Amino acid sequence: MFPGFDGFHWTLGHILFLTIFFAVLLTLVTTVIIALRRTARDLKTGEASAICWHADFSELPESERRCRHELAGRVDERTCPNAFDCRRCPDYARFAALAAVADTTTFGLNYPTDRFYHRGHTWVRAEQDGAYTVGLDDMAEHIVGEPDSVELPAPGWDLIAQGPAWEMTKNGREIRVRAPIDGKVVETGGYDKGWYLRVQPKGQAELRHLLRGAEVNGWLNAELERLQIQLVQPEIAPSLADGGILMRGLMDAVPSADWDTALAATFLEP
Amino acid sequence: MASFSVADRRWVARGAARTSSERFALWLTPWVLLLALGLYAGFLCLYRGLNQTNMDNRFAFGLWIFLDLAVIALGAGAFFTGFLVYILGRKELKPILNSAVVLGFICYSGAVAVLMIDVGQPLRAWFTFWYPNTHSMLTEVTFCISCYLIVLSLEYIPLILRNRRLRKAQPLLVFEHRLHLLVPVLAGVGTLLSFFHQGSLGGLYGVLRGRPFAFREHFSIWPSTFFLFILSAIAAGPSFLMLVTTAAQKITRRKLVPEQIFPRLGLISGVLMAAYVALKAIDTLIWLNVTSPAAGFAPWEHYAYKPFGSALLFAEVVVFGLLPAVLLIHGRWRLTGAALACCGILLNRFVLTVQTLALPTLAFDPFLTYTPSWQEVASFGGVIAYGVIVFSLSYRYLPLYPQEKETPHVSGL
Repeated sequence: MFPGFDGFHWTLGHILFLTIFFAVLLTLVTTVIIALRRTARDLKTGEASAICWHADFSELPESERRCRHELAGRVDERTCPNAFDCRRCPDYARFAALAAVADTTTFGLNYPTDRFYHRGHTWVRAEQDGAYTVGLDDMAEHIVGEPDSVELPAPGWDLIAQGPAWEMTKNGREIRVRAPIDGKVVETGGYDKGWYLRVQPKGQAELRHLLRGAEVNGWLNAELERLQIQLVQPEIAPSLADGGILMRGLMDAVPSADWDTALAATFLEP
Repeated sequence: MASFSVADRRWVARGAARTSSERFALWLTPWVLLLALGLYAGFLCLYRGLNQTNMDNRFAFGLWIFLDLAVIALGAGAFFTGFLVYILGRKELKPILNSAVVLGFICYSGAVAVLMIDVGQPLRAWFTFWYPNTHSMLTEVTFCISCYLIVLSLEYIPLILRNRRLRKAQPLLVFEHRLHLLVPVLAGVGTLLSFFHQGSLGGLYGVLRGRPFAFREHFSIWPSTFFLFILSAIAAGPSFLMLVTTAAQKITRRKLVPEQIFPRLGLISGVLMAAYVALKAIDTLIWLNVTSPAAGFAPWEHYAYKPFGSALLFAEVVVFGLLPAVLLIHGRWRLTGAALACCGILLNRFVLTVQTLALPTLAFDPFLTYTPSWQEVASFGGVIAYGVIVFSLSYRYLPLYPQEKETPHVSGL
């Protein structure tokens, strides 16, 4: 196996054979070491959140990866190719210039127009002091109701847009809420306060990827349709209601529904 | 039971319709029992020795070696699909790549497990690495299979880390991403290793001068069987992949891959099978007319012992060679062709192990017969059960068929 050990001979066969063998082993070991080193680097530099989000996004069903401009009725059909990061979208300006044709109803839910909305059902509101308040939007509040427990990040924690922001549990189910923007957590709230985090962005806040105006209504319409289909009992054919409003505390009201699937879709988990 | 079901569902990918936890447990039960029996038989062989088998010093190639050669050939779909996708850039085969990796992993790990029992001294398995006999083709096979099993494990790991629960651990998902980016390197190494060990398994027949039925002449240092083993493996691999995917679609009643995958795989398999049959026919003619007479045997003498008559040769070359090649290329009876192609490879490996050792080579040699013991059969069954269990678990909990979610749901396993 090695020169100097019993069984090794200085012959062409031994040298050639063992050289190839060790070259292969070295390639495999190097491959794993490179992967581990890059992983460690990503975890240290904060790149990890973006990688995880891209991996998660690629696993989302196509129906949940619709472009905001499709939701607003500006284009007929378009799947987002940028993991909901409109800052990197070369077509954003072209589509944004088109007139929105989506309905303006919010289906009995409260979606104030002074906020921006993230596809993971959070809202962002700019405050006078330059900070941004982050909370759960009304549809998510209606579904979850009052959470059983909430685990918020400590002040000083760096949030990365699309990465994990905070975690909640409800009826034994874990819910991971995604951060709508980048920034440092400066204060934490909770369900009673109506908001969960106050975030101070580094420099100018990037909000381009968040929904607003007609996009919110189109998105809400698609989300409510999706929720209705997911909550149908297995033995009943899927159908859509043509009226009524979402009830509060849906998880408590319909405990037998497939909440694993519905919650994952609501909070952008694959 | 309800809490077990809820906990189980959390490991299943969202949007992937799977049968209930109870039904899945029911499906696994017979396979787990068969695996347990196989493990017990394997334990007996290791604890009490190889006297538990019906092999002896004269008949040393039995059911296990047949199984090894067969599954290693059928598992070639893994490296060949990786080669086509990553090296040749045939991206249309990507939807089937994950399942090919899992199949390859099952085949190779199953073969290595059986080899450990067959060698009878697994604690001394490291001897082959520490004291390599570089003149032996089997040393190269051992080295290549060991390394390739590492490659397959490294290709399987990213798939496991993409499980719905495991992916929530950020470091694991990032590692999966980073390792996945390096998969083309692994595919290249895997191709090199597979190419040589498939060939070296066939290369064995270049030194079997004492077995005129199997001995073949050399081209340089390689006998013709070296090339035939490579060609037959890469021909049968895609067919086996197609059969397993079809079986999975039938059992789960779901469309798991785009329909256009099958014609593509069928054509690849068919063309390679046709090339294999052509070379096999030439090789057989040379053997019948030159190699065997030179060893003092008239060709018909090899086929004088029933049940190993010349019909077996006809079946191997025509029924399980030429016919599947035509069916696979034509496309109308593609699945039948794939099944025949896989059977052809099994028959070829059977002929080159069991039939080879059964035939007498000296005037005073008797025609040997061999029936595997229950321990051998149970170990064989254990490997099959292991394969079904790993594939079932992978299908249930891992993104084995990435495009599955896009297809309509009927009912699922």
